[in-house]
Amino acid sequence: MVYVATVRSPSARGSIRSIRFPRLPAGYRSILPADIPGRNRIQSFGAEVPILAHDKVSYAGEPVALIAGPDPVLLEELAAATKVTCDEEEPYLNWESFSSDQVAVKRVAVVGDPDLAFSIAASVFEESYTSGAIEHYYSEPQGAAAAYDYDKIAVWSATQWPYHVRDSVALALGCRAEEVSVRPTRLGVHLDGKLWYPSLLACHAAIASIACGRPAKIVLTREEDFRFSPKRARSSVNVRAALGSSGLLSAMDVRIAINVGAYGPLAEEIVSQAVLACTGAYACPNLRVEGYAVVTNTLPAGAFGGLGASHSLFAVEAHANRMAAAAGEDPADWKSRNVLRKGSPLLTGEPMGEEVPYEAILSSLAAASDYRRKYACYELVRKRRSGRSDGPLRGIGLSFAYQGAGPFLSGDASNSYTVEATLDKDLKVRILTSAAGGAGLVMDVWRQSAAQILGVEIESVSIAVPDTDQVPDSGPSTLSRNVSVINRLVVRACEAVQKRRFRDPLPLTARSVYRVPKPIKWEGGQVSGSPFDTAAWAGAVVEVELDSWTMEPKPLGIWLCVDGGQVVSPERAAASLRSGVADALGACLCERFSPSEAAAPGSAYFRYGLLPLQALPPISIAFLPQGRRAPVKGIGELPFDTVPAAFLSALSQAADSSFSCLPVPYARIFGALETP
Amino acid sequence: MTISLILNGEDVSAKVRSVDRLADLLRDTFHLIGLRSDCRCGRCGRCLVFLDGRLVPSCIIPAFAARGKEVVTIEGYAQTEDYADVKAGFADAGVSTCGFCEESKIMAAGALLERRPRPTPREILEQMSSAPCRCTDPDAIVKAVLAASDRRARRLYRRAGQ
Amino acid sequence: MLVSDVHFPKDLTEALDILRKRPGTLVYAGGTDILREQASRGLELPAELIYVRDLPELRRAGLTERFLEIGAAVTLSEILELGEAALPPLLAEAIRGVASPTIRNLATIGGNLASRSRFMDSWPALACLDALIELRDQGGATWMNVNRLVGADGRPAFPEGALLTRVRVPIERWDAWLLRKVGLSDYPAPETAVFAFSARAEKGILVEVRIAFAGESALRSQALESSLIGRSLPLSPRESSSIASEYRGLASEFGDNLSLQFGALVDGALGLLSR
Repeated sequence: MVYVATVRSPSARGSIRSIRFPRLPAGYRSILPADIPGRNRIQSFGAEVPILAHDKVSYAGEPVALIAGPDPVLLEELAAATKVTCDEEEPYLNWESFSSDQVAVKRVAVVGDPDLAFSIAASVFEESYTSGAIEHYYSEPQGAAAAYDYDKIAVWSATQWPYHVRDSVALALGCRAEEVSVRPTRLGVHLDGKLWYPSLLACHAAIASIACGRPAKIVLTREEDFRFSPKRARSSVNVRAALGSSGLLSAMDVRIAINVGAYGPLAEEIVSQAVLACTGAYACPNLRVEGYAVVTNTLPAGAFGGLGASHSLFAVEAHANRMAAAAGEDPADWKSRNVLRKGSPLLTGEPMGEEVPYEAILSSLAAASDYRRKYACYELVRKRRSGRSDGPLRGIGLSFAYQGAGPFLSGDASNSYTVEATLDKDLKVRILTSAAGGAGLVMDVWRQSAAQILGVEIESVSIAVPDTDQVPDSGPSTLSRNVSVINRLVVRACEAVQKRRFRDPLPLTARSVYRVPKPIKWEGGQVSGSPFDTAAWAGAVVEVELDSWTMEPKPLGIWLCVDGGQVVSPERAAASLRSGVADALGACLCERFSPSEAAAPGSAYFRYGLLPLQALPPISIAFLPQGRRAPVKGIGELPFDTVPAAFLSALSQAADSSFSCLPVPYARIFGALETP
Repeated sequence: MTISLILNGEDVSAKVRSVDRLADLLRDTFHLIGLRSDCRCGRCGRCLVFLDGRLVPSCIIPAFAARGKEVVTIEGYAQTEDYADVKAGFADAGVSTCGFCEESKIMAAGALLERRPRPTPREILEQMSSAPCRCTDPDAIVKAVLAASDRRARRLYRRAGQ
Repeated sequence: MLVSDVHFPKDLTEALDILRKRPGTLVYAGGTDILREQASRGLELPAELIYVRDLPELRRAGLTERFLEIGAAVTLSEILELGEAALPPLLAEAIRGVASPTIRNLATIGGNLASRSRFMDSWPALACLDALIELRDQGGATWMNVNRLVGADGRPAFPEGALLTRVRVPIERWDAWLLRKVGLSDYPAPETAVFAFSARAEKGILVEVRIAFAGESALRSQALESSLIGRSLPLSPRESSSIASEYRGLASEFGDNLSLQFGALVDGALGLLSR
């Protein structure tokens, strides 16, 4: 077996002048773009990422060459001793304001007549909200292995999308897809950080394996993974909102800039989702929204606990709370007045098809957290406070948002996804889908669906390991798709089996195919489709206290109330949501990833850590009771969609200031509290 | 240099360089792949071993520091009754982990219970931060360690009674 | 990769002999500070090092009426296990805040004090308690107040060539104490620091007060402490905030955030005396 080490670009932008390897001992070899048998690129949702940068480099840390050999210790040294020199160019780093050649994707939508509405508005509020980058810190750092297995190339990869790995490796090796067999390894918690990058590493391993004629393995250390794998995209959302004299939202003008780093592999999806979510849970009859995926010469960036919606939901909720506070109104009432109702106009032009369970969620949250009384009390204290040490520095924030149907993955080849179900003679059911990796709790949803339809015990239903030789292509495994798309396919496949069951002998296998008909269409400023199809709704309340001496925010409590449709296992779902809340809180408090700091070796990596468990406040999760025919919904992203905005609003109240980015630097909190 | 140590109950010796991390020695020379050397800074908890009875991150310990000492990895620890109590306690509480952090969490819980047979929730959470993971539900982990504590106490009572 | 010569002395005499013959040898015990920011697979260690973690003379801890004595190679966990009765609460609180339990199982008090890059969590508490460290070299043994580990520039100034063997913490009665770690990080970063305060009063008069603050730099002002001694309690809010802003002025090299937090902590700590 050979291990593989990566040689990386020291420059953020430029052309490679030379790569000087140290003397490589016998059994070690370098691998350059010329050694790639097929095409030197990965295709990902319309963007192309080089497998090894050839001539041009686009971010510091970009792989430019590989070294393969038997001793990983020596390999690390050889890679470190390799000198890459570039003719540097001025890198594109600006993204909050950017030039047009940095725009990878632009999405625009206009509804009604926003200019008119702004001109006659009773009040207008404008603010920009920024979200920083976050490290996924998934359960396992990334890596891949590849080896010949008779007439195929076997690839081991921990990936959300085995078929993407397969197709990428086939393209890189110049062989047919059927000649590549992807064997997924355990995925753990991925937070959407393993959608396309595993395919890049799989290509590295496969190319090395072919070049050396041996099995090859590439494994990133945590440090390498931290510094060089994709992170959550940074975003800046400028919201301008107009209210009529009745306090109803009359218009919004939203500009979203998402820094997708170099290449921007998920740019289309992320910007689309962010734009679709730009009015949050509110009815807004006049709207202009522009969303930009901005390419910069930094680490490629993208998904984190969802693909784009959370950027907008954060901004809209923070803004709504601010508008309410400015008008001296409890945000709960502001939301009540403006929340979407059945028949409300949507940005897609169609009316909202279902009721939004805001009142029920608010009622549950208010009872559990004592939100109303606390908000009023903390507002009173805030207004009367004369200094830092005058009274407790507390705040409480409320947010309300949704998790939509999930990535539509528009722009990719087939848009056609398949799930297979088999009922065998022992009345055991097997479900075959490529989305099984990292699906966790959702697998129980699939098993429950199968069990109900086929009239068997849930224990008789198993989900096959998503080896591409065994399972059909159902697309990637993500929190929302696994419910909205995959579960439907499981249901249909099982129904098909059930239909034939008493006619035909067992074993019976059925496939269901779903051609996603480009559910959201963008055409010249018009959007059509149904973004709220099977949306799960949630509200969050976050209570925060600032330590009166150190000014450090201390969360006192977090309450989450979820309308998640049919929840198969409430206890496990609550556990999963609690860990999601803990993760979201980390992003609010102490997790800050700076691409420029991380590009250079140094303490940025060592300083990054998850929030210690003992710093967590009590977290309480409640589910709204559901009718018997409630649909199954994806709920895993809800903590990221709700907690940050509630936290920001709570912190703003506690510090008597208006913050608009997370985490808030202490100097800003001090500044806010020191000025009388 | 050559060092001798007691590894999972056995006397062993190995050639090590001063620059070798204990975690890499255990994985590469002794093929104890239950641990991983991922973060190299003692934070992620995937390399935990007992060194002379103390739970430590082996990735920030030079191999030479194990000279003459007793090292127990998860492979050795999994044979103990302490481990069994904790594993059963996790099952009692219905804790499901992502799979990667489970053994580290079990070792951390076991190490805590040895010194604090009846820990408080705060002590539990602090100890479990030695094996941080995105999958951790704080409530479930407290329940699990308390359940393990019960099992352990019952086992030791039974033994005392005999 | 440089492979080092590792010495394993069996006792303190042998260790001192090695240090005498080979000055500049790196002293290695828990190693948590030495290896703190090394991400490469092979450890980066100097050409020679001496492993002192198991020297019996460095592993003892004992309590007398007047002081608590801890060997330099006693781990932070072991110190916490000495228990409430033996350990001054200020020190216990400081040590409890270090990293995580597994790192505390490895890190030693000697290493915590001997860091060359910054002041670690135990220093402010030990400085307030006027702890002494024993330094041994070829000349013999000397006891030095930990407050002298701060250079004129406020940065660590550990005496080179000496081996830290013991820490001696005076046992005194304190009426008020406060220890706070600042900077939401369990990792020693530029924005983290530790604040320590202890005070004693007799018949409503402040007879002793100690205030120390340290992160990358350290600050303790005996001048300001003296100016507080003899005042009658409770201090007025104006007195407290006046002293707090003087401290804040001295702390300007810590940067905006830390100096503001420090001032606020001084104010808050003095406020404890008003109760």
